[in-house]
Amino acid sequence: MAGNYTAPVQVLIDELGRLPGIGPKSAQRIAFHLLKVPTEDATRLAFAITDAKARVRFCERCFNVSEGALCPICNDDARDTSKVCVVEESRDIVAIEKTGEFRGRYHVLLGAMSPLEGIGPEQLKIRELIARIEPEGIEEIILCTNPNTEGEVTAMYLARLLKPIGLTVTRIASGLPVGGDLEYADELTLGRALEGRRTVD
Amino acid sequence: MSGELYRDTGVVLRTYKLRESDRIVVFHTAENGKVRAVAKGVRKTKSKFGARLEPMSHVRLLLYRGRELDIVSQAEAVEPLSPMLSSLDRASQGLAAIEAVDQLSLEREPNPQLYRMLVGVLRTIATTPSTLNVAAFYWKLLANEGMRPELDRCVRCGETEPETPLVAFDLNEGGVLCRSCRSGQAISPGALEVMREILGGRLVTALAREESPTTHEVASLATRALEFHIERRLKAVAMFETH
Ligand SMILES: [Zn+2]
Ligand SMILES: [Zn+2]
Repeated sequence: MAGNYTAPVQVLIDELGRLPGIGPKSAQRIAFHLLKVPTEDATRLAFAITDAKARVRFCERCFNVSEGALCPICNDDARDTSKVCVVEESRDIVAIEKTGEFRGRYHVLLGAMSPLEGIGPEQLKIRELIARIEPEGIEEIILCTNPNTEGEVTAMYLARLLKPIGLTVTRIASGLPVGGDLEYADELTLGRALEGRRTVD
Repeated sequence: MSGELYRDTGVVLRTYKLRESDRIVVFHTAENGKVRAVAKGVRKTKSKFGARLEPMSHVRLLLYRGRELDIVSQAEAVEPLSPMLSSLDRASQGLAAIEAVDQLSLEREPNPQLYRMLVGVLRTIATTPSTLNVAAFYWKLLANEGMRPELDRCVRCGETEPETPLVAFDLNEGGVLCRSCRSGQAISPGALEVMREILGGRLVTALAREESPTTHEVASLATRALEFHIERRLKAVAMFETH
């Protein structure tokens, strides 16, 4: 495939091809689409990317996306600091916040364990989670990873790690259909799953 | 052959995210070997596929044959996935098993024996916890690939026990060696005995063994032997070996 197009086009195709869910064919299609659109449109997209990259970073405490050092949730004094909900990605926080069922803080792992892809505990923000327990007086950790194989493996690994520390470790209820992503769950189902969370044994 | 509908039964080896809510699912099937297919809408909570297309799922399939990728039209569970996800040990063993099969399975090349072995090991993992489930499976996979290791006589001079103790195992040579011919790595008499059980029709005896330095030795040798054969590292087994 390489070398079929002039250098700038090939660079664009290669960069697009590195995005999640974009194969070589899609990368090619998007690249030629971008070359066809008016310059302003392409510039706006480029700006949106650089602007978001420059202004948004990860919360120093919970790794939620944030404009400041701490995200709005960590900065909110009204939140219950004894409960922490562990999620895979920031977008899962949005889904859980919509349910209105949870008033504690979060911890974003920035992914899930994927043994088949060699993504293990070291690649996730797990050490950072452990470090929060004592200073923040965390009493309950709710494992809200996706109800699929990777999410379950991550939850079981965390449970094994956290239980000996002596806090309550719970998992969102099995009301959530296995195989789906948390972000696609409707508010009612997700709210019920949170409410019906069970202690991990 | 594009557009033709066909039925098969398979185990999910891998899934890759595709577009908004779809996935590419890789199966090892009973009749068609490795099959790659698109499952539309599978990441949505209300997907008709539910948990049936997660890694380790064993499913009856209706597929559309496509030019590059097939399309999953229907998927029905043959066995429930939940036992595999009921403990970290089961899940990690199951993932280690499917990773190995993913490496050995070839696209559109029927390998029903590999399918039967995979279904068998997943069943064993779900029902019979053993520290040697994965190691025994790896040794049997190698034997099935025609790479059965020589365990009874020195691969160089042909001497046998008990006159000549066999003390080493060499991956390059594919078997054990005596003291004077030795190369590769040391192997304990206990580990050699367990490997003979696994490959000599006494699998149940081997699987009943308690976790010990001997079972660890057999397990790590099995991983190395399979990695040597496929010429790459196995990721899942390494992840759970280290803690
Ligand atoms: Zn935060
Ligand atoms: Zn010899």
